[in-house]
Amino acid sequence: MGSVSIRNARKSYGALEILHGVSIDIADGEFVILVGPSGCGKSTLLRMIAGLEEISGGEIAIDGKVVNSLPPKARDIAMVFQSYALYPHMTVEQNMGFSLKLARAGKDEINQRVGKAATVLGLDPYLKRYPRHLSGGQRQRVAMGRAMVRDPKVFLFDEPLSNLDAKLRVQMRSEIKQNHQRLKTTMIYVTHDQIEAMTMADRIVVMHDGVVEQIGTPLDLYDRPANLFVAGFIGSPAMNLLGGKVADGAFIAADGTRIALDRAVPDSASATLGVRPEHFRLDPNGIPAEILTVEPTGAETQVLMRLAGHEVMGVFRERLTVGPGENLRVSPETGSLHLFDATTGQRIER
Amino acid sequence: MKSQTGLLFALPALIVLFMLIAYPVAYTGLLSVTDAKGNFSGLDNFAAVLKPKVTVQAFINTIYWVFGSIVFQVVLGTLTAILLNQSFFGRGALRAITLIPWVVPGIVAATTWAWMFHTEFGIINYMLTGTGVLQNPIGWLTNKDTVMPVLIAINVWKLFPFVAIMVLAGLQSIPNDLYEAARVDGATFWEEVWYIMLPSVRPVITAVTLLLVIWGLNSITIIYAITRGGPANKTLITPIQIFRSAFESFQFNQAAALSVIFFAVTIVVVFIYIKVLSAQPGEAK
Repeated sequence: MGSVSIRNARKSYGALEILHGVSIDIADGEFVILVGPSGCGKSTLLRMIAGLEEISGGEIAIDGKVVNSLPPKARDIAMVFQSYALYPHMTVEQNMGFSLKLARAGKDEINQRVGKAATVLGLDPYLKRYPRHLSGGQRQRVAMGRAMVRDPKVFLFDEPLSNLDAKLRVQMRSEIKQNHQRLKTTMIYVTHDQIEAMTMADRIVVMHDGVVEQIGTPLDLYDRPANLFVAGFIGSPAMNLLGGKVADGAFIAADGTRIALDRAVPDSASATLGVRPEHFRLDPNGIPAEILTVEPTGAETQVLMRLAGHEVMGVFRERLTVGPGENLRVSPETGSLHLFDATTGQRIER
Repeated sequence: MKSQTGLLFALPALIVLFMLIAYPVAYTGLLSVTDAKGNFSGLDNFAAVLKPKVTVQAFINTIYWVFGSIVFQVVLGTLTAILLNQSFFGRGALRAITLIPWVVPGIVAATTWAWMFHTEFGIINYMLTGTGVLQNPIGWLTNKDTVMPVLIAINVWKLFPFVAIMVLAGLQSIPNDLYEAARVDGATFWEEVWYIMLPSVRPVITAVTLLLVIWGLNSITIIYAITRGGPANKTLITPIQIFRSAFESFQFNQAAALSVIFFAVTIVVVFIYIKVLSAQPGEAK
């Protein structure tokens, strides 16, 4: 079927190395999302899997077969581009059936497969239209349909939702996820939007500066980020990171504020404590914090506070009636603290 | 008030246009229905120019000349554009060199080619006989079977760079994603050319072809400089017939009548061409 194995893949342009040996194993039928900031090499890696970029080192295998030197069409993959890359002079029907036409499939077969994909994607009324007559969401669906009619081993998505407005993006996100559940085909999806990654993926690969920082399920990454980069990247609003040290089983912030740790960790002269915004609780005996801004969203209240010498974000379920300049007392939830070695950036386990 | 202000601003341009375009056209019309003394002569001039067989022959030659030139200009120009759109070492230099025929003045190109095709002293016969391809030199510009193809070849050489550069500009506006999507879809290079490049540059090719039709119908320089319409009127095209009739035989009224006929035919041809092409569905806009 459609497993993908990436072994120590490297990519360089001249002397400049973009990917520094990336290894990922993707199981058949899995939905894996490559996520990371701009320039981290995620799109390059996807294009290497597609065969649109040469592989400078290492190997990529699809379904056990090394594809390093195979052209895109021989890899049995389909790709959805950020710009959708629909052929402007072809109708929706012709766009979707183009790959079959090139493969010399019969007219009946093309019609049947295009028809089937169009029905699944709700594109039946638009088959005779040209891409310029479609909305962004419809174009996205056509791009998806063009990939579906090929029945490939692996679907590749290169930031397919980034050109859509926020509302449509949420809708298309769930459509893509439903399609994955229906098709059960391996999907590799690139995005810089960690919300997309969290909501859609079976597993997330976090990339940064051409290396893989962590691979895991969305909740794995959220609950146990392997390093400071993942901790800061996954989650919105981002995790609060406080600099300080560990001494006598407690974290001592730079300004001397003492935060009791919920587990035994060895003393360390430089450590970073991570607390997610929603893991602060109002506590009359907690750490004093000065309120900087209050942002009620209805369901919750986001409060930017100055705590232990740092600006930290807290998210509270309560409807707070406090304002800027006032003080709160808060404490982090037990069992929810993340501790990192400030020098290596790696997570400190117990 | 406002429309009058607008007219006032447009007036200088309109006067210039009237003097340079409308007046000569109208005056040509007037000349075509008068005799040399300025008396009204009805359709006599038209009858006089349509009677000789040479007019029909010139008209057929014109079609041969325009159609033959355009087919090769467009095909060769488009292929050159596709080549120049690929990435290879020295592409910039080749792009610049390709433009040379177009920037060379027509009269210079015509004279140079006339010498190169000269039966006795031309380099082309020298090379062909020297290498043994030909036993005897060919009278390229004097043989009635070779003269028009040779002139068409020169005209193609002169103008294919223009097609190439226009089509190249069109090709460069095609997003790279489309090629990549086609490659993922399984297209070979020539399938990319056929299904992606050509449909995308079709509007450019349409516009360029229209220009080539107009230029072809107007062209005098190359043929007049090389053969003056000979031998035996084999390369006489209507514009040259008009030119010779007016400025060599000084029959301005007959030349004007022929111009009016030619003008009408040209308008019909261009009109049909635009209608047919704009009726094509699915054009990339």
